[in-house]
Amino acid sequence: MDHLSKHFSRRRFLQTTAGVTGAMAMGGFASASRVMAQSPMAGPTGTFNFMTWSDHFYQEQLDAITAAIDITPSISELAGNAEGFIRLGEVGGQLDMISGDALWVPRYFEDGLIDAWDINELEVSKGLYSLAREFDIWTTPAGYLGYPFGWSPVQIYYDPAHVSPAPDSWEVLLDPKYAGRVMVENQPEEVPAYMGKLAGVADPYNMTTEELAQAKELMIRLKPNVLRLAQQNTDVVNALTNGEVWLATGNLGYDERVREAGGPEIKVFTPKEGTIGWMDAEMIVTGGANSALVRPWLEMAQTPEHIAENFLRYGRPLFNEAAYKVLVNNGHQERADRFLYNKPETVQTMTLKGPGTSTQAAIEAFNEVFGA
Amino acid sequence: MTSEVGRGTTPADAPEIGQRRSVARLWPAIPAALVLGVLFLGSMAFMVVFSFWRTDADFHLVPDWNVDNYVKFFTVPTYLRTFGKTLVMAAAVTVAALATALPFTYFLVRYVSRRWQRIVLLAVIVPFWTSYLLRVYAWQAILGERGVINQLLMGLGIIDAPTRLFTYNDLSVFIVLVYVSFPFAALALYATLERFDFGQLRAAQDLGARPDQALRHILLPQIRPGIITACIFVFVPIIGEFLTPVVVGGTQGVLIGNLVINFFRGAQIAQGAAFAIVIAAFVTLLLIVFRRHLQVEDVVARG
Amino acid sequence: MSWPVARGIDPIETMPVSPHARATRRALWLWAVIVMAFLYVPIVLLVIFSFNEPASPGLPITGLTLDWYEDALTNRLLLDAVKNSIFVAVAVSILATIIGTMAAFPLVRGRIRYPGAARIVATLPIMLPGMLLGIGILLFLRRVLDLELSLLTVVAGHLVFTVPFVILIVAAQLQGFDRKLEWAAADLGAEPRQAARHIILPLIWPSILAGALISFTLSIDEFVITFFTVGPQLTLPTYIYTQIKFGVTPAVNAIATLLLLGTLLMFGLGIVLLSVGRRVRRRDAT
Repeated sequence: MDHLSKHFSRRRFLQTTAGVTGAMAMGGFASASRVMAQSPMAGPTGTFNFMTWSDHFYQEQLDAITAAIDITPSISELAGNAEGFIRLGEVGGQLDMISGDALWVPRYFEDGLIDAWDINELEVSKGLYSLAREFDIWTTPAGYLGYPFGWSPVQIYYDPAHVSPAPDSWEVLLDPKYAGRVMVENQPEEVPAYMGKLAGVADPYNMTTEELAQAKELMIRLKPNVLRLAQQNTDVVNALTNGEVWLATGNLGYDERVREAGGPEIKVFTPKEGTIGWMDAEMIVTGGANSALVRPWLEMAQTPEHIAENFLRYGRPLFNEAAYKVLVNNGHQERADRFLYNKPETVQTMTLKGPGTSTQAAIEAFNEVFGA
Repeated sequence: MTSEVGRGTTPADAPEIGQRRSVARLWPAIPAALVLGVLFLGSMAFMVVFSFWRTDADFHLVPDWNVDNYVKFFTVPTYLRTFGKTLVMAAAVTVAALATALPFTYFLVRYVSRRWQRIVLLAVIVPFWTSYLLRVYAWQAILGERGVINQLLMGLGIIDAPTRLFTYNDLSVFIVLVYVSFPFAALALYATLERFDFGQLRAAQDLGARPDQALRHILLPQIRPGIITACIFVFVPIIGEFLTPVVVGGTQGVLIGNLVINFFRGAQIAQGAAFAIVIAAFVTLLLIVFRRHLQVEDVVARG
Repeated sequence: MSWPVARGIDPIETMPVSPHARATRRALWLWAVIVMAFLYVPIVLLVIFSFNEPASPGLPITGLTLDWYEDALTNRLLLDAVKNSIFVAVAVSILATIIGTMAAFPLVRGRIRYPGAARIVATLPIMLPGMLLGIGILLFLRRVLDLELSLLTVVAGHLVFTVPFVILIVAAQLQGFDRKLEWAAADLGAEPRQAARHIILPLIWPSILAGALISFTLSIDEFVITFFTVGPQLTLPTYIYTQIKFGVTPAVNAIATLLLLGTLLMFGLGIVLLSVGRRVRRRDAT
């Protein structure tokens, strides 16, 4: 079903599907609230403080939950993992929940900033893919470190009209044919890691000096090809749409957004050397002033219906298997499969983004290459 | 008429009364001293200390006192090169912003009625209350390959294919920086130009001076404080500027702010702090060297 | 310079005007128009993008829609963010202007031992990248003062880099201030404080106004320092800049356009009302 015809704007389509899923969600809530009404103890209500990225929720979801159980998150936006880490370190209990990427999560825990808990306490956790409940890096004797949310590999997008033969490796970014036609993200820890992957480094976030030197060499070859470093992924989408660049790195979903914006048909591939990726989770802050509200809220927010809607709006896979079924039942299977939704095991093939021993050296290498 | 002590000052009384009064006269500076002295210097005390420490692999600041962070700024050529380039860019933008703002403000003060002056000033500044990011994105749409300028040039037949002359290089950074600096320069100049008595120019011409001589010897010296303030308002913030180069500068238009920010965003606080402090120290040195031009003391008994 | 002229007419205006002067005036007028156009072209584009269909703001224009406005006005978070930003900016503007203006006096006239040094300390906050300031202030507020973060701590953080601007701009004007006016007032029996209030302040109003406008402008769009000093609240810049993983939608352009229209309308109305009031008063007075 081609639901992205130009005459039918995506927004309106989402609204109709939201109507469908919303109805389902309301149905879900109706039953949930019936359950809660029947339970002898009324749950706690109020507001709690949640620092997260803007694609972890949507307005109607928040409104629906507030209407059902009167718990509302006070959202503050996360700029990046490092900034969030610094802030949480200083404000502690002023936050109750925070989102974070894969390898940052154990960092937070080791610094005593978040709690380990048993996510199976929550009913909705049954809807998660089982592998999401058993990630080594998030497992500790005291419990699990976060409620798994979403993930995405970094992939390479290309415009087949200008890029041929069809590429399959990171190498294509360095090809002199494409000078000034490449875009990578402005992330000084990630770009050296991409090059590390190309160089065949085993662990791009914990590189040795020699490995980093190799990555730096590759970055020097990359630089003349790079038109600019993207600050936000809107930049990448715009550049691909305008034809300013023919190759770009990014998360899942850009090809769709380019098509929507009236741009050319973009293809995507995962490099054969392997790729980087992220997966994130919601973490409960230790000593949060309102932490009693977090679990009841998660119970309502992580329902299959809400997660399915989140996928439709933001276009990257999530760890909720039950939500996949909802998507399939509503005719979105093709899209979900294209986004690798039903293949969460992909996560295990990607190198996860996160802090490492070579972070500072990587940033320095990046500065030396991309400085004046 | 007798002038009693405690009834204001005259030139004869000035020195003694000044001394007796000097301490009492400083009280209005107390709130500023709290903000700048306590809050600012207190915050910077942390960063100065951290700049001599090390960030370990767990992103903790380890009190391993060393000067490596500072040494790196001087031994890795990239940083000095980028810093030098930033200074040149800042100077160029300052000259351009002043050259743009001075005639504009002169016209505003000299030929426009008081009420319309305020309206125009507001019209100048209100657009800068929209998001900086949105404005810089708009510039991209103007300077870019598919942007307004290119479409115009192609439409007029001047060029056949879109030019990348204005995109993602130092020139685009320069243009956008002049754009964002303009209102600050204009406001700084407006303040002193407004007080200027334009009658003096006529008097000078009356006495035989050419218009440009009148400007150079009468106007400029009197609005010099305003010009210097405008220079500081434009030059100094560019040293720490990083957002404009990222959005419109591409890989060519990098400024030192970008490199320093990269450390902070990777939680390498010690390194970032050291570099920022070195840069600030250098700019402070510049200000000290030019301090004669930056005179703040009151020029009493003029005329 | 004076010669007998009818009352109420500025003698300057009765001097013969050389064609040279007229040409200069026209050239300056043209320049002013060019500059205004230069200032507004990006703004016009910004407004146009708010009506553009695609979810990523920018060219090409594929279709016009009001959806983003609907989005923006129903987005509770976005509206809260705007409200908070305005509150902070107004508070910062007022406080910075008062603090800075007060501090300018001792700086220029207080006969401090090293006025240059004081001025350089005042300029330091502007030289440093926002992140350095932001993290430093966060550490100071939490570890030394043990304050809970809120919009008030944001105001404090913003004051650090706006007060210098006000001090510098008011000091510059105060430097050129003609002291004879104060001495005349003193001779006529005014206390220094009265002289300050009735003579000096009214005459340095351009720099005070400029300082207020500059601090408001700086505060309303400050992201970095705000991020580190804010409590669980949103401001518009933090909302915009942190949409990094997903990206900015034209709903932000819509809000910016609405804000722009709103402020222009508000000020336009204010100026119209003021001039009407003045005309009424003048008519009554005669």
